[in-house]
Amino acid sequence: MFKRPQKLHWILIVCLLLLCSISVYNLEGTTGPHIKDMYLKQLKWLLIASPALVLSSCINLHMLRRLAPVIYITFNSLLLSVLLMGKVVNGSRRWIDLGFFNFQPSEIAKIGLIITLSTWFQRYPKPVYEFYDICLLGMILGLPMSLVFLEPDLGHTLMLMLIAVSMFCIERFHRKSLIGLIIGGVTLSPLVWTFMLKRYQRERILTLIDGKVDTLGAGWHSHQAEISIGTGGILGQGKGMGTQVAGGFLPENHTDFVFAKLSEENGLLGASLILGLYLLTILSILYTAHTARDRFGRHLALGVASMFFWHIMMNIGMVVNLLPVTGVTLPILSYGGTSLVTVFITLGLVIAIHGQRQIFE
Amino acid sequence: MPTFISASSIDQRKRLLGISACMTLAFALLFLRLVQLQVLRYDELSAKAQDNYTRDQVIVADRGTIYDRKGRVLATNRPTFDAYLLPRKVSNTRSFVSQISVILELDALDRLELTELINSSGSIRKKRLAEDISKSQVAALEALNARLGGLSIKVRYQRLYPEGEVGAHLVGYLGNPNAKEVRERKLYPNQMVGRYGAERLYDHLLQGQHGVERFVVNVKGKKVNEPWAQAVSERVAYRKPPSRGRDLVLSVDAHVQSILYRALDGYESGSIVLMDPRTGELLGSVSKPSFDPNVWSGRLTKEVKRSIDENPYKPLIDKSVNSFFPGSIYKVVTALAAMEEGVLDPEQPIESPGAYEYGNRVFHCHKLSGHGRVDLNGAMAASADVYFYKLGERLGIDTLARYAQHFGLGERMISMNGESKGVVPTKEYHDQHTKGGFQYGLSLSSAIGQGAVRTSPLQMAVSFSALANHGIVYQPQLLLNTQSANGERLETFKPQIKRRLDANPYHVNMIRKSLERAVNDRRRATGYRAAVPMGKVAGKTGTAQVKTIVRGHHKQREQRWRDRDHAWFAGFAPFESPRLTVIVFLEHGGSGGKDAAPIARRVIEGYHQEIEPIFDTQAQLRLDQYAPQQRGDQGEIELRSF
Repeated sequence: MFKRPQKLHWILIVCLLLLCSISVYNLEGTTGPHIKDMYLKQLKWLLIASPALVLSSCINLHMLRRLAPVIYITFNSLLLSVLLMGKVVNGSRRWIDLGFFNFQPSEIAKIGLIITLSTWFQRYPKPVYEFYDICLLGMILGLPMSLVFLEPDLGHTLMLMLIAVSMFCIERFHRKSLIGLIIGGVTLSPLVWTFMLKRYQRERILTLIDGKVDTLGAGWHSHQAEISIGTGGILGQGKGMGTQVAGGFLPENHTDFVFAKLSEENGLLGASLILGLYLLTILSILYTAHTARDRFGRHLALGVASMFFWHIMMNIGMVVNLLPVTGVTLPILSYGGTSLVTVFITLGLVIAIHGQRQIFE
Repeated sequence: MPTFISASSIDQRKRLLGISACMTLAFALLFLRLVQLQVLRYDELSAKAQDNYTRDQVIVADRGTIYDRKGRVLATNRPTFDAYLLPRKVSNTRSFVSQISVILELDALDRLELTELINSSGSIRKKRLAEDISKSQVAALEALNARLGGLSIKVRYQRLYPEGEVGAHLVGYLGNPNAKEVRERKLYPNQMVGRYGAERLYDHLLQGQHGVERFVVNVKGKKVNEPWAQAVSERVAYRKPPSRGRDLVLSVDAHVQSILYRALDGYESGSIVLMDPRTGELLGSVSKPSFDPNVWSGRLTKEVKRSIDENPYKPLIDKSVNSFFPGSIYKVVTALAAMEEGVLDPEQPIESPGAYEYGNRVFHCHKLSGHGRVDLNGAMAASADVYFYKLGERLGIDTLARYAQHFGLGERMISMNGESKGVVPTKEYHDQHTKGGFQYGLSLSSAIGQGAVRTSPLQMAVSFSALANHGIVYQPQLLLNTQSANGERLETFKPQIKRRLDANPYHVNMIRKSLERAVNDRRRATGYRAAVPMGKVAGKTGTAQVKTIVRGHHKQREQRWRDRDHAWFAGFAPFESPRLTVIVFLEHGGSGGKDAAPIARRVIEGYHQEIEPIFDTQAQLRLDQYAPQQRGDQGEIELRSF
């Protein structure tokens, strides 16, 4: 079941440690509405997540591949159960209450989907995938996507799709079928807009297109985040001295909008440092993909890299007011346990791929 | 090392490089966006952040106090306390209600309502319980609040007018500004502005400069004092203290005002204007019926407003600046005009029968039997209408109007309380406004202050002051000086001369003498009821016929009032060196001689006895002693005893 990595992925581990330190440093001194001393809580989460990192980095990838169908069925049943008996927060069922902690099955779904797709590509290698394969892939992807969409959780639905599409990027598909599917998708999108999106979701997208729609309603978050980042200037206002955060004008400043807080307090220098660390992390994961032993490892690492990438893009894109407001977290830096555990597990998998790249059977 | 590399894996690795490049590009875009926000738009966004965390609070400046000429307060600010109920914060409803009803003297019904209000506290957060509570009530409520909570006591500045309805028109009252005023004059909705009288006329002086306090707030709008707030408040916080409005010293005398107001007792509607002819200062001006400005400056109840609006005698109209038919007091203008134009020799008697036929109309005198042959003194004393008809005929309406305008008639004096300009009719005026246009007969009506002539008591005060002071037409002065809160004098206003009467002093003197005869002529004087024992009063009575054009559905008493004539008395005292000009006007008051003249006498006597002696009684006594020898030598000063 487990295999010790032969070689540690040092760049990734250093990046990870730096990001974790930044996260704890950033939360130090913050007190949330219900939680005192967030950084202690976050430290606790780090302690809980670290074994997950170690375990997943030692996992035998062959075993994992064999377990893929089980994983697929498990996370889809979790998604189904959250729909049936999840805890309602802000009008959507996203959380499962396990008594001692709550977790979001849609986070697990991302890992599960990455593993499943990687396994599928490993099992059925083809120079060009035909229409039939595309349909099969669509079904594998479609099931968790629709379950997440029903929660409703637009951010994660989109996330699942983006991760999958990124993973498809290194495969070849039958061109005509692909073009047909794209045309079909574009024609169907107005129907999605009208019938499948909820009003607040449409509002968020409209707010982005016309930034001045309603600075007190849906646009409030983005507007305040933009101000926060702007006031940071080049050097930042200093820890705890950012007026937007300290005065409470920036909502969600330790979770979804944490990047705005970091930019306000640490300025362009701090924000660029974080962007640089993230980019380095992603590139190091992509390096793992590049040097991976097989299709499974390549796809798995690419999936993790794209999950990281899209999380960062959607979160920071939202914070800098370029993308609509979706509840996508910023990996590691956003306060919260489930996302941290997910990130640690996926990075552990990357370390495992890196460590097992020279093992052949 | 990998032992074999498939073709597809080479392809996939190439693609991975492409993906890496795309992702790096995306990060570069985010970086550029950060540069845009944090470097290029830094100033704009910092300003927006400052809007977020700063709050400007206006500190409303106190309104200036209004004093009378002797330093008595006419209008000032008084702190009042209002009690508010905070239903959600009451801890024990029963004992709260029972205790508060003792303090505020609530009855059973109020108690029930209060209990309900507290129990259904969901919707109402704050409700006014009582206004303007006493100091002992404040203390008791504070004690109750400390024990059971649920109360809030707020201080509010209420304008106080100690004189109440006496002279209310002159001092005026305040009101809340409307939306347009708030916008245009940059007022604050809870700030009161002058709505009437001096409060309105000098609003710009009474209003102070508002102060501003800028402080750092959090998103809830609460003032905060955390480290970040201290750091930014060093940059942005400031406080501009308010500067209180200027205090005003008016020329009126509160005591005089009450003498004037008392003198009008028994008449429904009218006005008295008292002016110092030496300077044009208004010593007093009252209008009746009046209203209580304390009520009008506060929260006006519907009942009070309706009762004022429905009052047929129109309390909200300042009769001292509204124009009415002057009647015979206008004859001084006719007489001066006739002398100046050389159409009258004051000593030459003119036949004044009871009626005068002109064209195809007959103009009647108020005395049907006529006055026989009278000179100017006699005509003025007896108010012989035909004498003045003849002068009017000789002068023509336009010449008469020119002299009237010289006196300041037909123009605004003080621009206060919707002052009316009055009417000095000319040919042109009649062509425009009279049915059938100008007719020559109208010159005759104008000559005795009828026809279309309309003047206000204030205009008459200026005109008669000009006669009293030998020809100076003053601008009526209401404001003597302004001062700061600690009594330091800021600006002093001097008497303003509008113009000097372009008339022969001899002619003016002839008119003055005839006015003296109109009060003191034992045989004929119509104004003898205005005479006082201490000295000589000069003046003219006026009884203006009022044709009630509209006969509406009025109550009987009101209709009788509407049918009566306007009564006037215009004069000055003492005759030798005038110190008071008195104009008494009674709207539909009856007769000038019987009704207005006694009021003038009361005013002059009251002023002499209660304010300052204007008649030199010592000199009077001395003169009386030597009277026999002096009589005849002194043609000008005739001494009579009553």
